[in-house]
Amino acid sequence: MDFTWTEDDAAYRARIKDFLARELPANWDEIARHGPGSPEQTEFSLEFCPKLAAEGLLIPHWPEEWGGAARPPWEHFILGEEMWRAGEPRGGQYMNVNWIGPVLMKYGSAEQQAQYIPPMAEGKAIWCQGFSEPGAGSDLASLRTRAVREGDDYVINGQKIWTSYAGLASTCFLLAQTGGAEGGRSGIAIFLVPMDTPGIEVRAIPSLIGHGDIHEVFFTDVRIPVSTRLGEEGEGWTIISYALANERVGIPRYEMGSAELDSMVAELQRRGQFSDSVVRSRAAAAAAACEAARLQVYRVVDGRARGAAPGNESNLARVAVVAAEQAVTDFGMDFLPDGFSGSDHMSMLSHHERAIVTGIAAGAAEIQLNLVARRHLNLPKGA
Amino acid sequence: MRFDLNEDQSTYATFLEQMLAAPDTGFQPVEGWGRYDYGTALDAQLDENGFFDAAREEELGSVTAALMVYEAAQVPVCIECAASALIRPFLGRDVSRPLAVVVDDAPGAIRYLPQAKGLVSITATGVRYADLPEGAVQPVESLYAYPMGTVDRDALDWTALDVDTGDLRTLWQVAVAAELAGVLKAGMDAVIDHVRERRQFGQPLGAFQGVQHRLATAAVEIEGARLQMLKAAQSRSAQDAAAALGYVQGVATRITYDLHQFMGAMGLTLEHPLHRWSYRAKLLRADLGGSSASYLAYATERWGAA
Ligand SMILES: Cc1cc2nc3c(=O)[nH]c(=O)nc-3n(C[C@H](O)[C@H](O)[C@H](O)COP(=O)(O)OP(=O)(O)OC[C@H]3O[C@@H](n4cnc5c(N)ncnc54)[C@H](O)[C@@H]3O)c2cc1C
Repeated sequence: MDFTWTEDDAAYRARIKDFLARELPANWDEIARHGPGSPEQTEFSLEFCPKLAAEGLLIPHWPEEWGGAARPPWEHFILGEEMWRAGEPRGGQYMNVNWIGPVLMKYGSAEQQAQYIPPMAEGKAIWCQGFSEPGAGSDLASLRTRAVREGDDYVINGQKIWTSYAGLASTCFLLAQTGGAEGGRSGIAIFLVPMDTPGIEVRAIPSLIGHGDIHEVFFTDVRIPVSTRLGEEGEGWTIISYALANERVGIPRYEMGSAELDSMVAELQRRGQFSDSVVRSRAAAAAAACEAARLQVYRVVDGRARGAAPGNESNLARVAVVAAEQAVTDFGMDFLPDGFSGSDHMSMLSHHERAIVTGIAAGAAEIQLNLVARRHLNLPKGA
Repeated sequence: MRFDLNEDQSTYATFLEQMLAAPDTGFQPVEGWGRYDYGTALDAQLDENGFFDAAREEELGSVTAALMVYEAAQVPVCIECAASALIRPFLGRDVSRPLAVVVDDAPGAIRYLPQAKGLVSITATGVRYADLPEGAVQPVESLYAYPMGTVDRDALDWTALDVDTGDLRTLWQVAVAAELAGVLKAGMDAVIDHVRERRQFGQPLGAFQGVQHRLATAAVEIEGARLQMLKAAQSRSAQDAAAALGYVQGVATRITYDLHQFMGAMGLTLEHPLHRWSYRAKLLRADLGGSSASYLAYATERWGAA
């Protein structure tokens, strides 16, 4: 066991930090306070990701034939960590880099690859992920949006909800049922749907995390050619399982949490309120929760780096990350409650807005707990 | 020892319940998706009918006033009730309401200040009151589901009040505990409705035992908080009030987290009322220094200084 970084990894991290210090604009904090899912940040990503691409920092882990440098998983991970620490200037494009691109490389037709991969590699593509529906959240397989084959086309009817980035996305990675009435996993297929196709309507949902972050997307008689289908009919579930395995650890939110904790403590020190032993011990507890999450996430990355089969460590890591985010935001709310009103301490506020989705957005924490209980503790399933 | 209401209290509670159930106290989105909805009509109705004066009436008393704060906190609209019901009757002079309160010169925005006619300041050295002249208050945008505002406190015309500052602090702790217990209860009720209806994996969410246990724990804790708060309202002892407030602030963090978890993404929209309660809870749980400060005060009351 070795908990230190190699010289190469440390140098790589330093290079990214340098780049961010140099390239993030003076008003970055103002943009970032809207959060990674905001329209502001999504638009910013169209400026910023091409710069990352030019520097070789957008898709370094992709294979060379797709413009990458086949860099190892740890580098890819360090890159993500530093991006999130900075507030994720890649906006929604992190999805392209992490899983949409790799999924297209594995399952896409030559035509799909040629159409979609280069713009992602250049940092100019905004995608949205059309999975959840009003009736299908945690139970994703119960989704009902339907794609009916008509000659060389499919006609899509249904509704998606909570869709991030939909307001600005050019393409939707859409899950729909093509199978029989029974639905379920085996009937799911994936479509790469241009968002300007007639019959698609996007409505922003006013929310606690800001306006324009999450959406409803309605599909009414949306006609798309068969060539937009990714993989075969019925192959959708296999493909998203592959995609999610690529996303095994999720977002390194403990990294943002830890950075936010530092600025909260600095504020308390400035006010002369960091001598109270209760406050100090709570800050330390939040820091330790971040470390507990960090190490569990690192274990998952290590497994991937060594090519080990994915285990249930990622379920543990996801729960730990939720707890870490929670500890940090609770600390801020308890000891700097005035930081959530008015224009001061906006970074705290936006941190809180990000933290409140952590246990829900990428799948509910309770689903992860179920998996920890069953797969990690080997507890029996109830009747 | 008796846990049921006396006749006057029952009558009071019945009328209060009717007023709180009026249609305009329900949830409706606010223009521009504001975070709170001030219940102007409800406030006026309760005021006109003397509900804020319960603590002055012998047969009702401060327990009834605390009960009112708890009940009023459960409607999706918010009204300034805590200070009016539990501070205003004890100031030793008539002041207008709505009323805002600041304790120990806590910095930053104060809830209900934009509506308030006067501000009460409670510190270790005494209780002061100041009218809030027209235009003095600056409304402040906030994450919390309260109207928030600031005022140049030094510029106000303060009057020292001849009251026991310790007693006022205790009453205010009870008031905050009552309001917090109330918003938690209402949030829990909304989530219970949701998990009863919402089905995933072929069953209501509320049928999952993992969900049941956490909601059941919340119910036990909220009831424990409510009873401690009512006891403290009667005893008006610093120790009881510190326990009541420390306890409810302590459980609020986890309960609020759980409630949002069980609502899923729906709980993050401004189209569902959960935030109207949870984002009041988030402020109240940190009020007066939060749970740890209340518990430290309790320890001192009970076992003496360190
Ligand atoms: C900010 C944000 C962005 C999002 N972006 C996207 C996006 O871009 N694309 C997309 O498709 N979706 C997106 N989602 C949706 C997200 O994937 C869902 O919210 C998530 O899967 C949970 O579904 P739900 O909200 O319907 O909650 P539900 O499935 O209704 O569950 C509610 C709660 O019930 C409990 N629960 C559910 N099942 C169980 C169980 N078996 N055992 C115990 N407890 C259980 C959990 O506490 C859960 O949180 C986003 C969500 C958020 C909050």
